[in-house]
Amino acid sequence: MKTTKNKAMIILFLAPALILYLFVFLYPTTRTFIMSFFKVEGVTDALSSWKFDGFDNFKTLFGTPLFVSAMKNIGLIWLVGGISVLLISLLFGVILTSGVLGKSFLRSVIYLPNVISAVAMGTMWINYVYNPDFGLFNSFLKLIGQDGLAKTQWTGPELVFWSMLIAYCFGMVGYHMLIWMSGIERIPVDFFEAAKLEGANSFQRFSKITLPLLKGVCRTNIVLWTVSTMSFFVWSQLFSPVNLSENTVTPMSYMYELVFGASSSALTARNSGAGAAIGVILVIIVVVVFTLTQRIVRHDDVEL
Amino acid sequence: MQKTKMKEKFSLKKELKHAPGYLIVGLWVIFTFVLIGWIILASFSTTREIFDGTLFKFATGLHFENYVKAWTTHKVSSYFMNSLLYTLVSCTMVILIAAPAAYVLSRFKFRGNGLVQNLFATALGIPAIMIIMPLFALVTQAHLNQSKGLIIFLYIAMNVPFTIFFLSTFFHNLSTTFEEAAAIDGCSPMKTFWRIMLPLAQPGIITVTIFNFITIWNEYFISLIFANTAKNRPIAVGLYSMIQSMRYTGDWGGMFAAVVIVFLPTFVLYIFLSEKIIASVTGGAIKG
Repeated sequence: MKTTKNKAMIILFLAPALILYLFVFLYPTTRTFIMSFFKVEGVTDALSSWKFDGFDNFKTLFGTPLFVSAMKNIGLIWLVGGISVLLISLLFGVILTSGVLGKSFLRSVIYLPNVISAVAMGTMWINYVYNPDFGLFNSFLKLIGQDGLAKTQWTGPELVFWSMLIAYCFGMVGYHMLIWMSGIERIPVDFFEAAKLEGANSFQRFSKITLPLLKGVCRTNIVLWTVSTMSFFVWSQLFSPVNLSENTVTPMSYMYELVFGASSSALTARNSGAGAAIGVILVIIVVVVFTLTQRIVRHDDVEL
Repeated sequence: MQKTKMKEKFSLKKELKHAPGYLIVGLWVIFTFVLIGWIILASFSTTREIFDGTLFKFATGLHFENYVKAWTTHKVSSYFMNSLLYTLVSCTMVILIAAPAAYVLSRFKFRGNGLVQNLFATALGIPAIMIIMPLFALVTQAHLNQSKGLIIFLYIAMNVPFTIFFLSTFFHNLSTTFEEAAAIDGCSPMKTFWRIMLPLAQPGIITVTIFNFITIWNEYFISLIFANTAKNRPIAVGLYSMIQSMRYTGDWGGMFAAVVIVFLPTFVLYIFLSEKIIASVTGGAIKG
């Protein structure tokens, strides 16, 4: 009697969420996956007009210089940005958990960029920090007497990629810092006290206790960083608002151009099949990172 | 107790040991303040003062008209109201759909429970690019494209998995004694949920809702594709199109005023509720 009652409740309570899931996640993901193996021009084309073409979409993509630039860019963002963000955020996490005054205030300020719209943050960076006339960077360089450097065109073609990366990473540090901190705070205090009694200095305590116990958190951070960078889009659009440029293009912005053809110049012909293939490539990257990092942690016998 | 501990902690020698840490974090924090502070000052200034570098003097007074201009002539008011509508409706519906599901998943043993939980967990890692194309085809066929209802529906669906994930942990940590007591009193499980368990989960619901509010308010990609008309644009997409035009017309004061209007709601929310927001980030990420 009771189980049947529960059964009805389980179905009733789960159904809305499951229906939404099937409709907005499962069906689209499956269809995009299938679509990546077909030649499809317009995104709204009927199924009957799809033509199977095996791995042609993938081959076309890797034969297109702009897409190769996009992959190079996302690779650099992932690697250079990832190392910088994870190291800086770890450093901040360690500093803030070391018993400094005003910890929660400092933590809140460092996390702040994450609650502000990326469009607003990007506008601040482009139109204030990087502005060649009154920008923060060039004003500061002028102030310290580097007049030559003060003429730097931060959003010019040579530097735009790095300027974009710095602006993006600045916001991400706070997010990853919180995750490091939650890991550090779960380490029992006795570990540190015992090490202190044994005469370990603060660097030894960090490298021998904190770091090894943070392996799991490190993995979480790498996975989350990968998931968020693979969707790198707004910043690319903000730093190259009119047309795709090989300096700032990412797989997502390239896909947007391929499928929805937004920008005025016809840089790319409509090709939704290739757009779907980009999605599949990004998912594969996430899955590979997820599995590889899982293996690293599995060898670890310490579990907090 | 806490106070004496603080006093004990404050000694110059100890603080000196932290000096390098204070310096590094301090510089970062100062930069953040300069960045946001300057934008706020510039939003009350004129284009000429911004370029002359005299915006701190406010020689010509505070230019509130920047805000008036952005709010009315650049239609920020319409984008703002759209975002408010999308965010409030989606946040409410997300809870009504996710809370019951999370409760059932964390409380009842049944076949497929683990599978369903894994399904929702995978949704957290699926990039938006994998779902937009078929959805776009579907809604175009159904002539639903570029409507307010559609974007709200998508926001609800996309935020349910994280919310289920977050609330499951929360329900899991609530004691079962409440349900046992309710069952003895003859309260049906469903009634127990709505009358007893949902109110008990209020702290978790508030935390996750603040987090959803910020996510939806700042959402850009989905609305760029599904709600990119003058009538339906939410504030992030609206700001983007506005900035492009303002840069060419050279109205910098107005542009910074628009930026401030966009970040003000989440910024104010954050000032009052930063502890809760930070708790939701760590609570959601630990298991992820």
